[in-house]
Amino acid sequence: MLADAFEALKKFDWGTDLGVLTPIEEAVIAAHTDAGVSQDLENRLNAALKGDLSRDAHGYVCRKLAIIGTAASVPTLAGQLGGKEQSHMARYALERIDAPEAGAALRDALTTASGSQKIGVIGSLGSRRDPAAVAPLSKLLHADDPAIARSAALALGAIGTAESAAALQAALPSANGDRQYVIDALLSCAEALLASDKQGEATAIYKSLSGEQQPRLVRLAATRGLLACARKQA
Amino acid sequence: MSQKKRSTRRDFLKTATAGAGAAFGVPYVVTSAALGNSSRPAASDRIVMGGIGIGNMGRGDQWGYLNRKDVQYVAMCDVRDEVRQRSKATIDEHYGNHDCKAYNDFRELLARPDIDAVHIATPDHWHAIITIEACRNGKDVFCQKPETLTLREGPLMIAAARRYGRVVSGGSQRVLEDYRKLVEPVWAGEYGKIKSINVNVGPLPKLCNLPAEKPAEKIDWDMWLGPAPWGPYNSKRCSGSYSINGASWRSFSDYSGGGMTDWGAHHFGGATFICDVRDLQPEEVIYHDGKEGRYLEYRYPNGLVLTHNRPHHQNMQVEGTSGEKLPPKPVPTYQGGDNIGADFIHCVKTREKPFRDIELAVNTAVVSHLGNIAYLLKRSLKWDAVRQEFPGDAEANRLIDRARREPWQL
Repeated sequence: MLADAFEALKKFDWGTDLGVLTPIEEAVIAAHTDAGVSQDLENRLNAALKGDLSRDAHGYVCRKLAIIGTAASVPTLAGQLGGKEQSHMARYALERIDAPEAGAALRDALTTASGSQKIGVIGSLGSRRDPAAVAPLSKLLHADDPAIARSAALALGAIGTAESAAALQAALPSANGDRQYVIDALLSCAEALLASDKQGEATAIYKSLSGEQQPRLVRLAATRGLLACARKQA
Repeated sequence: MSQKKRSTRRDFLKTATAGAGAAFGVPYVVTSAALGNSSRPAASDRIVMGGIGIGNMGRGDQWGYLNRKDVQYVAMCDVRDEVRQRSKATIDEHYGNHDCKAYNDFRELLARPDIDAVHIATPDHWHAIITIEACRNGKDVFCQKPETLTLREGPLMIAAARRYGRVVSGGSQRVLEDYRKLVEPVWAGEYGKIKSINVNVGPLPKLCNLPAEKPAEKIDWDMWLGPAPWGPYNSKRCSGSYSINGASWRSFSDYSGGGMTDWGAHHFGGATFICDVRDLQPEEVIYHDGKEGRYLEYRYPNGLVLTHNRPHHQNMQVEGTSGEKLPPKPVPTYQGGDNIGADFIHCVKTREKPFRDIELAVNTAVVSHLGNIAYLLKRSLKWDAVRQEFPGDAEANRLIDRARREPWQL
């Protein structure tokens, strides 16, 4: 039954009845409680990924790997991060795989992917809140492409560490992407630091954004932040 | 507005300055009309609004705001050519001019410094990105329900709203308007302590695998998809009809949570309002799959049990404590009028939190999302509302979010 479903997957495309893949759906459920089933299923999914699948079928396989994929799937998925039609769904799986290899693959792709695919990789590193990505993302704050610089800022804000904040602070004076995104990311870092009881670091960020040269929206946000720091200290 | 009322608003701002944040000498509450850059005209008593996503619900919301004398509706955005044209024509006819600007890209609308507030009625997969971007640009937001597509989105929307001091209202007029007749006696204490309430809603979302069609309309398909996985145009894939049975985006997991979120926003929202747990999230979801069929029990920190599709139970069936009567509590309601749009506009002016403040709306959406995940994994879940994760449950934690299609990110 499962073999039949994987055979059907080779011809699967938009418009095909999803029912032909039911055995795979059932195997995903069984995989939750049976390591042997999980490994077998993952092997089959990886083998399918290496074949000539339609874009739809490729996306389906990646959706399943998002649920059951492990480090074993990373090499195959990593090889697809640069492809225009495959990159997103490869990330769909990689972003959810809780293995250091997945993070490493995404970080490596920062130097190989380009354009929109690179922005996608940056976004996934931010979603994973990968502290090891702070250093390479910091460099991208100065990218020639403002869209990449903006994306890097948002990702650093999502990661929200003191190191992220330091990189954003350093980049702010010469921000290539829109300044509002760098500032927004800094505010996000400050909130994360405050939530981690690092009032001193959060306060410093808020104070740095309180100056008259900042837009009123930012100054008010910084003021709210300072109030929050004061309340937490009290 | 009269000069007397204009002075009253300035007095309010002065009072707000004195009353809060005195150590920093800035107002705690400031209307968005007073914020903005130097190119904006002086503060007006009209709220300048725009709309993003003008389909079935968006058109209705637009009509409501358009017909308010205290709103100046200046712009709208939709990725469908015909919708933009029709909407602009409606607005221009209303004002007797050609001033309404129509956009395909919401970012251009949100970048306008003259716009104070926006209403959002795109498909669900766009709600978080647009709401957060709106807050970043200093706009107040009315976002249709269900406000989120994933569990990760809610806290980020709340954070953006609080960070920039924005009024952000979720949708669902039904939470108050449909269930008031049950809310009132429960809040009056007539049922005693509520032990349980049942919600019947569905179906679950499903994967969309519709075949490609030649577009029947001029639509920016890439923008319609936005952060969702790429799929070919199909009229049912992008239809905004109210169907949750395969004939609209509401049915499909890439864009929505199916009936669990679409009608769940109303029913779970109503149930949590009735039981006065709007500010809480469940801490456990118990999955039942036995002789009586599949259903869920959501357990709240205060002991309340909210069930989903419990066999032999009607929708909104409440179990109180027989013989007990509790002290009555005042029932929260809309301000500024008898509808959710009026409530939003009132709060834009006064900077109060709306009836469906985004935090309350997100709490409702969490119920829907937890349910969808429990049914997908076919098992029970524990939920940590503070950390916003499933404690020690790596498998469930994978489903908290999903990768967004480039170039979109939160």
